[in-house]
Order: sequence, then C-alpha cells, then structure tokens
Amino acid sequence: MNPEPFLNLDRVIHEKGRLAIMSLLAASPEMSFRDIRDTLKMTDGNVTAHLRTLHESGYVAFTKSMEAGRGVTTYALTSTGRKSFTAYLDLLEDIVSQTRRK
Amino acid sequence: MDSNWASEQLQTIRTIMERSAVYRRALAPLMLSTGLIGLAAATLPQFVPIRTNRAFAIYWMAVGVIALLATLLLVRRQAWREDEQFWSPPTRRVTEALLAPFIGGFAVAVFLILYGQKFESLAWVAASIWVILYGCALNAAGFFTLRGFGLFGRILVLLGCGLFLVTPAVPGDVPIAAHLAMGMFFGLGQMAYGIYLYFTERKRRA
Repeated sequence: MNPEPFLNLDRVIHEKGRLAIMSLLAASPEMSFRDIRDTLKMTDGNVTAHLRTLHESGYVAFTKSMEAGRGVTTYALTSTGRKSFTAYLDLLEDIVSQTRRK
Repeated sequence: MDSNWASEQLQTIRTIMERSAVYRRALAPLMLSTGLIGLAAATLPQFVPIRTNRAFAIYWMAVGVIALLATLLLVRRQAWREDEQFWSPPTRRVTEALLAPFIGGFAVAVFLILYGQKFESLAWVAASIWVILYGCALNAAGFFTLRGFGLFGRILVLLGCGLFLVTPAVPGDVPIAAHLAMGMFFGLGQMAYGIYLYFTERKRRA
C-alpha cells in the first residue's frame, strides 16, 4: 500500500478528540461549548485544550454572547477548517478505495 | 495504519456528524402515542356533545397539549435511557422547525374561539388548515430526521388541501365531520405511519 496518503493526513485534525470536534462542527452551523462537551462526553479541560489548538490553527472561530444573563461561547468551522476537514476526508476515502481496487 | 483503520475512522466521523445534525430518537413510539391520542380524541365527541366551533377549538387544543406532553415525556425517557442530553442540538433544530407551523395552528384555534359563532363550516376549515400546517411542520422537521418524516408531511399537506377544497360539499353536522377528519389524519394517519416506523426502525437498529 502506498504510504503517502497517511503521511499527508493533517496532524491537527488527526487527533481523536479534535477529529470528533471537527466532525461535530462540520455537521452544524455552530455549537456552544456546552453542547460540544455534552455531545462528546468530554471534560471541560479536554474540550478547551482541543478548541484552543483548532483555533490557533485557524480551523475554528468563536463568538461570545450573553444568553439569560450568562456568557455563552459558540464555535463554528472557518472556511480553512472546512477545507482541511474535507481534504482529510478525501484522503481517508483515497486510502479505502486504494485497497478496494486491489 | 491500514485501510480498515481508515474505514473505521470514516464510520466514526459519520456517526459523530449524524449525532450532531440528525434527530436520532426512535420516532415510532412518538407517532404511535400521538396517533392513539388523536384516535381516542376523535371517538369521544361521537358520544359527548362537542358541537360548537368554539368547543371544537378548545377541545382539540387540549388534545394537542396532551399529545405534546406525552411526546416530551417519551423523548425525555429515550434520552435518559441512552444517557444523552434531552435538549440536544438536533432536538432544538426539530423543535424550531415545528414551532412556526404550530404557532400558525394556535392562531387558527384562537380565531375559531373568538369568531367561531359567526361562520358555518369553520370547524372543517380549521381541521383542514391544521392538517396542512402539521404537514408543513413534519416536512420542515424531516430535514433533521432519518426516516421519511418529510414525505409523510408532504402527503399530509396534499390531503389537507383536499379537505379544504371539499369544504362546500361537507354534509350534515359539520363539527362531527370535522372531529372525524381530525381522527382520520391525526389518529389513523399517524398510527399507520407509527406502525410503519416501528418495523423499519427496528430493522435499521438491528
């Protein structure tokens, strides 16, 4: 099997927790911190760390707002994040189809 | 790393995306319970006189509230059993999709309560508008569900339009006919769809 696709996999997205967050955000226009944490059953610290990495890579943007007197942080994929996620999926599909052809 | 790993990774991504976007609670129990409530509610006026337009509106509003509460309890129980949050993003999206047509239906009921005495055949017209609006609600919610909710909604819209168009030809006691129409669509229709879902959902989950 050609190892090249594996080497091209985006290291930022590839981590299990970050991949889960990217998958959630790819299917939703936006999601609050709480929804991400509750849906994925992750700890506050884990979600914060992964979101920080994704934000620093330019994959995720956030907005802060007030709802019922409480601060709510909402996250969404940036266009760069969406492109990188699509490229990641394409690579995975390439790997699968390579094996099917054999 | 191999292609099995890649397939598993894709499957995981698909599952997470579905969890985020698609309402995954079993819909069959919801349809069956609301269908049963609708059917029972349509049967009662055949024995108890609910004949004025105003009584018709108040009665079916109460039935709607009971059906809504039963649905909420079932959804909550399903969420609790699967150890998932009740007010999840997909649940919120489905609720938002349902809300606008439901507000429309509420306005029709209020109109019937306020001005029901002034017009004849209004109960029938209200029943047909409720079927159309309910169809619109299911059609909108269908974008966030796995099963053919949207198709069922569109069928209801078409049938509701048919009901509306035959209004001048409705014979005899209009509220009684309207109760029967409500039982037919909100009772039998939903129960039939619930039975269909019961078998197809079970097959899908197996």
